[in-house]
Order: sequence, then C-alpha cells, then structure tokens
Amino acid sequence: MSSVSPPASAGFGLRRALMRNRGALIAAAVLAILLFIVDGISAGPLTYFDVSFLSSGGATSALAAIGQTIVILSGGFDLSAGAMISLVNAVLASSMDPMAPGASILLWTAIGIGVGMAVGAFNGFFIAVLRMQPIVVTLSTMFILQGVTLLVMDKPGGFVSPDLGTFYLGDAITGWLPMPLVVIGVVLLAWFWLKGTRFGTALYAVGSDPDSAAAVGINVVLVRFAVYVIAGGCYGLAGVFISAQTGSGDPLVGNPLLLSMFAAVVVGGTRLGGGQGGPVGSVFGAFILMMVVNILLVLNVSAYYATIAEGTILVLAALAGSLSHASVLAVQLRAARARLAAWRAGILPSQLEPIDRRLKITGPTQGQRGPASPRPAFRLRNAETLRYALPAYVCLLIIVVVTQIWLGRAILNPGYWNSLLVLSSFLAVLALGQGTVILTGGLDLSVPWTIGISGIILAGMVNGSDPALLYALPVVLVMACAIGFANGFGIAYLGISPIVMTLATNGILQGFALIYSQGTPAGFSSPMLRWFMTAKLGFVTPIVLLMLVFVVGAVLLLGRTPFGRRVYGIGNGMRAARLSGIGVERTLILVYMLSAVCAAVVGIMLTGFSGQASLGMGDDYLLPSIAVVVVGGALITGGRGHYLGMLGGVLLLTALQMLLAGTTLPYATRAILYGLVVLGAVMALRERRLQ
Amino acid sequence: MGIGSKVRRLALLAGMAACAFGISAAQAAEKHKIFLSMSYIGNDWQAEAANMVKAMAAHKSLADKVDLQVQVAGPNAQRQIQQINAMVQSGAEAIVVYPISPTALNQVVKNACDKGVKVFAYDAEITEPCAYNVHIDQLEAGRVTAEWLVKKLNGKGNIIAITGVPGTSVDDQRTKAAKEVFAKYPDIKIVGEAVGMWSQAVARTELSKILATRNWGDINGLWMQVGCFTANSMQLEAGKKTSELLPCAGEGSNGGRIQMLPAGTEVEGAAPPYAPAGAQRISYASPPYSGALALKLAVEAIEGKDVPKTTILPLPIVTNETIKLCDEGTWAEMKAGCNVFKPSLVSNPGWFASIFSDQTPEIGLNAALVGQPEN
Repeated sequence: MSSVSPPASAGFGLRRALMRNRGALIAAAVLAILLFIVDGISAGPLTYFDVSFLSSGGATSALAAIGQTIVILSGGFDLSAGAMISLVNAVLASSMDPMAPGASILLWTAIGIGVGMAVGAFNGFFIAVLRMQPIVVTLSTMFILQGVTLLVMDKPGGFVSPDLGTFYLGDAITGWLPMPLVVIGVVLLAWFWLKGTRFGTALYAVGSDPDSAAAVGINVVLVRFAVYVIAGGCYGLAGVFISAQTGSGDPLVGNPLLLSMFAAVVVGGTRLGGGQGGPVGSVFGAFILMMVVNILLVLNVSAYYATIAEGTILVLAALAGSLSHASVLAVQLRAARARLAAWRAGILPSQLEPIDRRLKITGPTQGQRGPASPRPAFRLRNAETLRYALPAYVCLLIIVVVTQIWLGRAILNPGYWNSLLVLSSFLAVLALGQGTVILTGGLDLSVPWTIGISGIILAGMVNGSDPALLYALPVVLVMACAIGFANGFGIAYLGISPIVMTLATNGILQGFALIYSQGTPAGFSSPMLRWFMTAKLGFVTPIVLLMLVFVVGAVLLLGRTPFGRRVYGIGNGMRAARLSGIGVERTLILVYMLSAVCAAVVGIMLTGFSGQASLGMGDDYLLPSIAVVVVGGALITGGRGHYLGMLGGVLLLTALQMLLAGTTLPYATRAILYGLVVLGAVMALRERRLQ
Repeated sequence: MGIGSKVRRLALLAGMAACAFGISAAQAAEKHKIFLSMSYIGNDWQAEAANMVKAMAAHKSLADKVDLQVQVAGPNAQRQIQQINAMVQSGAEAIVVYPISPTALNQVVKNACDKGVKVFAYDAEITEPCAYNVHIDQLEAGRVTAEWLVKKLNGKGNIIAITGVPGTSVDDQRTKAAKEVFAKYPDIKIVGEAVGMWSQAVARTELSKILATRNWGDINGLWMQVGCFTANSMQLEAGKKTSELLPCAGEGSNGGRIQMLPAGTEVEGAAPPYAPAGAQRISYASPPYSGALALKLAVEAIEGKDVPKTTILPLPIVTNETIKLCDEGTWAEMKAGCNVFKPSLVSNPGWFASIFSDQTPEIGLNAALVGQPEN
C-alpha cells in the first residue's frame, strides 16, 4: 500500500483494490489463522457462544480503535481516548437511577456519544482552530479528563442498567449473529458512507499532505475539527459498550486501553502519520490482539513471557504489513546488493583512488568575516530559538512566584531550588534522549522499561557495594546501547514505524525485567550512588553539579557537532538529508542509542535516589518525557527545538508538581490544573507564533 | 463480517485436534482445575502473593488435588474479563482472582457462577454477590492507623498524608476512614497530601516535593499507605538522629519493620537505612497470604464444604511493643509471635512482612520468597 498507486497494475481493478486494502486483508488473514489456532488448541470446538464472547471481549477496543484510526488518518494523534472511555463510563454509572424500572438504550447511548463528541470538540478546537500540536493537546486533555472523571466518581461503583447489557451483549440473530459485531458493523458502514463523501476524500488528503490539501481548496481546519468530534463519538460509544459490559462504573477502567489501541491501529495496517489505511483493519487488529491473549492463556504461557510474545507479534505484524517492493526493507536489501556488486567490480567509493573532489571555495572562508558583514546581535541570531524556548521559562517564573505567594519559602530558600534541580534531573536527562529522537521526527516509547530494566540490573549487580559499580555501570550502559541499536535498526533498516518498534521493545524489555527479577527485584543501591543523589554539599546535592555539566554537554552535542546538525537535517526532511550525504540510517541508530543510554542513566539515578529498584519505576516518566520536549518548544514532527527550551519545560513541569504537592488540593483538582497549565504553556508558544 | 460462519467451518476442521487434547485432559481429571488471575505483576506485593499461592498449591495437602494455572491481566480490567471467561471456557472448577476493579468484573463473574465455577477474590473485593471475598477491612486499617497517630501526637500537630492509587476502593476507604478520625481532632492539621501510588519510589519523590517548601521541623507525624521506610531514610539523610524520627503510621514492609527494632540491635545483614533505628511506627498491611488462603478455601468449596461468602482477615498490626525478629521465618516460629525478617534473608526492604496467618500453616517465609511450602 504505497501512497503512489502503482502505474502498471492500475488497469486491473481487482488487483488494485487488493493492493489498496492489503493492510486490512493481511490483518483479516492473521485473525483467521489465530481463530483456527485457538480452535485447534482449546479443549472443545468453538461454539457460537465462544464467538459471541470473543466478539464482546474485543468490541470496546475495536470501537475505540476505529476512532483512533480516523484521527491518525488525518495526520493526528489522540492520547485522550482512554480517559474519555473512563469518563463516559463514570458519567453513565453515576447518573443512572437503580430504582428506575428500565433504561432507554437510545437515550443513554446518545448521552455517552454526546459526552465523547463534546470532549472531541474541545480537542478539535485547540488542534484545528488554534493549530496546536495534537499530541500535547490530547495529553493535557487526558490529565484534565482523569481529574474530571474522579470528580464525577471517586471510586468504583455506581449502576448501569442491565437493559444496556442485555442489548449490547445479546444476539442480533439468536444463535447466529452477536450484537457486538452488529454494532461494529454499523459503525463501519457509517464510515464507508463518510469515506465516499467529499469529507472522506478531504480527510485522506489532509492526512497525506495538509499543505496540498489547503492549496486545492479543502477547509483543513474544519476537517481536522470534525475528525476529533467523530473520534470522540467513537470513544463515547466504546465507553457505553464497556458500561454495558461491566454493569457499573470504574474511574480507571479506560486508561490502560490507550497503548493497545495504537497497537491495534498499526497491526491493522494504518500508517502512523496519516493518509493510509482504514478502520476495518483496526477492527481486525483489535481482535488479533485479543486473540493473542486467549492463545497465551490456552497454551498456559508463563505470565512473564506474555509481553515478550505480544511485542514480537507487534513487530511481525508491522513487518508483514509493510512487505512490498517499495518498503524500506526492500530498498535496503537492494542497496546492499548494489553495494556488493560495486565492491566486486571494485568501484565502491572507498575502493577508488582518493582524489580531492571537494569544491574549491574562493573568497573569505567562514572564520574570516569581512568588516562589511558584522555578526548580528545575539538576540537576532537566536530569534527563533528564543521565541520557542522562552515561554517555558516565563511560565516557570510565574509558577515560582505563585509558589512563593501561596506556600512561602521558595525564592529565597536554597532548599527549594536544590529540590527543584534534583527532581528535575531525571527528566532533564530523559529530555536529551527523547528530545533528540523527537527532533528526528520519531518517538521513543521504550523509555519506561529501559529505565526499569537498567535500574533492576544495576541494583542486582551492585547490591550495596561501591567497587561493584565499576563493572555494573559499564554493563548497564552497554546493554542500553544494545537496546537503542535494536530500536534504531528496526526503524532505519526494517522500516518499522518508531512508535511500533519502541512500543514492542518496551513490552519485550518488560518481559526480560520480570524474568530476570522473578517478580521481585533484589539488591539495592551502593552508598556512593545514594550519596550522589541524596547527600548535601552545603546546600547542593552532588547530582546538581553533574547536571550542570550534562546540560552544557547536551547543548554542545545538539548545537555544535556534526551529529547535532545531522539530527536537525533528518528532522527537517529525511529525503533532503539523504541527498545531501547524511548517513541517515547510521544517524538514526545513534539517536536511538542515545535515547536508550539516557533512559538507562535515569534508571541508575532513580536507583540511587530511592535506594532500590522496582519494576514499574519507569512508568511515570514516559508521557512527561514527551510533554517536556513539546512544552519546551520542540515540534513533535521533528526538526525544530533547542535543548535549553526542553530544559525549561522540565523545570516548569517539576516546579508545577512541587507547587501542587505543597497544597492540600484533592488529586482530581491537581490533575485538572496540571493539564490546564501544560495546555496554557503550549498556547503561549502558539500565540507568539501568530505575531 | 461472516466470522460466525467461518468459525463454524474451522471448528469442524479442528475437531480431530480437539479429540487428541481430550486424552491428555483426562489424565488430570482427578485434580481440580483452578486458575489464578492476577493483576499487574509489577510490584513486590503481587509477586509475593503469587509465590504464596503457588506454594499453597504445591503443599502436600493440596498437591495431588489441585492443578493450578496462573495468568496475569496487567492493569487492564477488559483483559481480566476476557481471561476469566477463557478460564470458564477451558473448564475451570474455581477461579482465584485479584480483581483489578471491584465492579467491572461483576457480569463475567456472574456468568462464571451460573456455570458452577467458584470465584474467589483476594485482597480486593468483587461486589457481585455470588463471588467469595477474602480481604481485610480497609476502613478498619485507615481508622486504626489514624487513631494510633493521633494518640502518639496527643491530638495535636501537623501531619503529612501519602495516599494510594486514586480512584480505587481500597485507597478511598483507607483515606476516608483516616480523615474521619483526623477530623475529630481540630488541632491535627494535614499540611501536605500526595498520591503515593503504593510505591516507595513514588513516596520519596512526592515527599521531596512537599519538603521543598517545608522543613522536617514543621511536621509532627506521617500517615502513609506506603512509604514509612522511605520517610525514615529521608529523615536520617537530612541529619536527624534515630531518636528524633517522626511517628509514622504505614505499611508492613520488612524494611520499615527492621527500622522499628531498637537502635543498636544486632541484626544479620543490616546496613543503614535498612537497619534498626527505633522508629516509632504502627505497621499494617493487606497481607499477601490472602491469595493462598483463597485457594485453600476454594478447594474446600469445591469439595462441598460450607465456605462463607466473605472472609474478613484479622488486620495484622505491629507496633514497637510487639515487634519481634524471626530467626528462620518458619510458620511455627511466626505462630510464636515473630513478625520481621533479617535483611540477610530478605534483601529487599520493600518486601511485605505480614505473611503470617493462623489459617495457613502450609506456608511460611520460604513460600513468600521462593514459592516453597512448609513441610
């Protein structure tokens, strides 16, 4: 499924249709094979009841994945989907009256979809009208919604009428067709109708190339806005379905669905970044992921291996979906063959006689600047960097002042600044890795378990002994390099999308961490590592001094080295970068290795800070690591951003958390405030851009 | 979609394969097929609970009766719903489950009950009436610990509260009950409150944030669901003497309990902060043996014994007056009253020490550590 339809085969309608829907067809075939396997290995043959239950089990993810697919097709990204499902569930369960004799299915379904669409409109307004980056808008929405959901319902409970369950989980045709499949079918039919309209064409056009779409007269703002509203409706329906399925409310029920939703979309053959694929494949994708769970259950695979199996399947599915003549893997193989042939013929550049082929540049070289062109003022030279980096620092200043007024003891208290820097140090290190990946237009989702496994292995090897650090640190860092290399290799040479590759790596690392630790990580940090993270030299913790060195190093790495320039080059245009002679593959691999090493360093630092390593220790760092980079003025699609801006983002979010922790506000209010401030900080970026 | 009809055809094709598997199933027919559906395995408590369930299943009294299979659902209630159903499908006689949500599983549990499967929830609760529940009274846990702290402070002082995972019933009940107690004493002020996610690491981060704008000197006591070990470590790092440690009501981690032993006590393997410090503590826990007990009860229920729908476990409370070091950690030794283990045996201070129950002589320290039952 390449974006350019193959010219030679265009005449054959059937073949063309097959090519166009290959992603969905492969997903359907995989699903059929999985069904066959389940049937083969389970105790009895599959009955209608099994099919009915399988269909209701996967329906929530499938419905949500349809919404996510539509957003992704338009070139967007929606992190608020899981939180929206929780909200709808909480709203339904807290507002239905257990005493009322029956419930109107139509009414409650409409309410659920309506809530979803309203939140979708909120997202759409900021993304489409204010043209803010989807990932950070929906991330803020996610925090806000989690808070709102807890306000609606602070603990599991409530009541959802069994009528809803009877309807949504029952049979459409008794013994033949379960209702969940009908619901999914109806949504898909609506999608096919929509796809056939002008709006559908516009949707794909906006996702493929928004500039071209705008140039041919498509109202990009309206299309984007509508996309988030429609997607919100899908999440709303998913929320109604899960309410029917569980018969009650739980404010946390939807949150874990988020990552598997993306996996379902990708397994179904939709390309992240927009323009290709469709919801049908995502429905198959959602059911495939669910079947895998069932197969692991029937085979009685140890729980520790489950995430490894899922990660492997994700990579294989992504590879299968991208196998074609034009895929990155095929291109790389052809290039390797060409290089081999050239080597045999003796015409590889390295085999030729070295002749200086560089252009002879006459006139003054860079170093000697003529008096006619004076160096422009700092303010002008760095105007763009300042414009994007400053808002974070301005917001930071506001937060610090608010802290001083509200809680006192901030600005003049050295302890406050020391805590701020120590707590920021983790995200500051992560921001370099994640930031560099984002500068190339990628995303590293393997951060959580790279942190986790590094900390666990370090603590296990060190076990309280300082000399052991001498060999434990290199071992952990080399392991991180290997993790980063695997990510980079998959992305650069196999052509797997960064999100899928790193998501799969994350799952695989989780499995390894569980196997290594057998569920309870042993060992603890050595005294020296603890000293670095917790001791005080006067008012300063040693790590703060190291951070200063790190920040200088990071700024130089990205701003003053060939590596840094290559990173920006790739982010601004992969093809242009390749044509100007940048070794794109090698640079990408180095970028992901840098990210993994940064994550490992954070794992080591956290182990020193807490004194021990725990399994989920990296989980809280994934979304913040992305948020700080974007709040610091970087563009999520790559090419723009400065490390000092990201550092500003780190300090801002940490100072905000410290302010909120110092108050006695309820958690729900804190989550809402946190989301609003992130949104406001990015809005500041936006407003400056308008000037 | 047509999946239904496709499946029917596939089902015919695979009939033979199913027959082959039927034979191997017959060999295990005398054993009761019991499934364990766990939540996330990403923390010490869950790993310990799983070890103890496995040890219980391997104990000589149950080994030839029980065929136990373990599955993990992660934090995803949807997946647990799916797993429980798959367990019912594959012929479970009983399902022991750590419920991710007290309500989301109701439908699937009811469905399982209707097919005659006994469903036992441990630690947390399932509200569906046909399910059996084995857990402590979380309200009592919140109340008792808060009352202890108020008494230690003579009804007056500034305290910090570190809660659990927001949006869960356990956290809600513990925190509400504790706050009700604090509300009765107008001189007790909660000056800082943070979400601790039941993790020592998170507790440290949150305490660091709170202490950025406060001094230890402004605080008189701590009420934490998890994190007293960390809080005491932080106070020692900040230069406090062991005698100045603030009273802390909190979890039953082994590290925290070792700190409760009088300062200077000789303990094998101890190294600060995982060392005796005479810390003023009340230590409680949701005991990790609840899963093992649930398994034992499940077997009794299958065998037709009368098992009550709700088993409220006694709240395991340890204070400075009752703390006592174990030598080896056998069940018999714990029965005699010891309740904390040497760091040389339990190297992880975050490990939960409330593993003793009158009702489970089958399992001791080795069960919790490596899944090995007592003799």
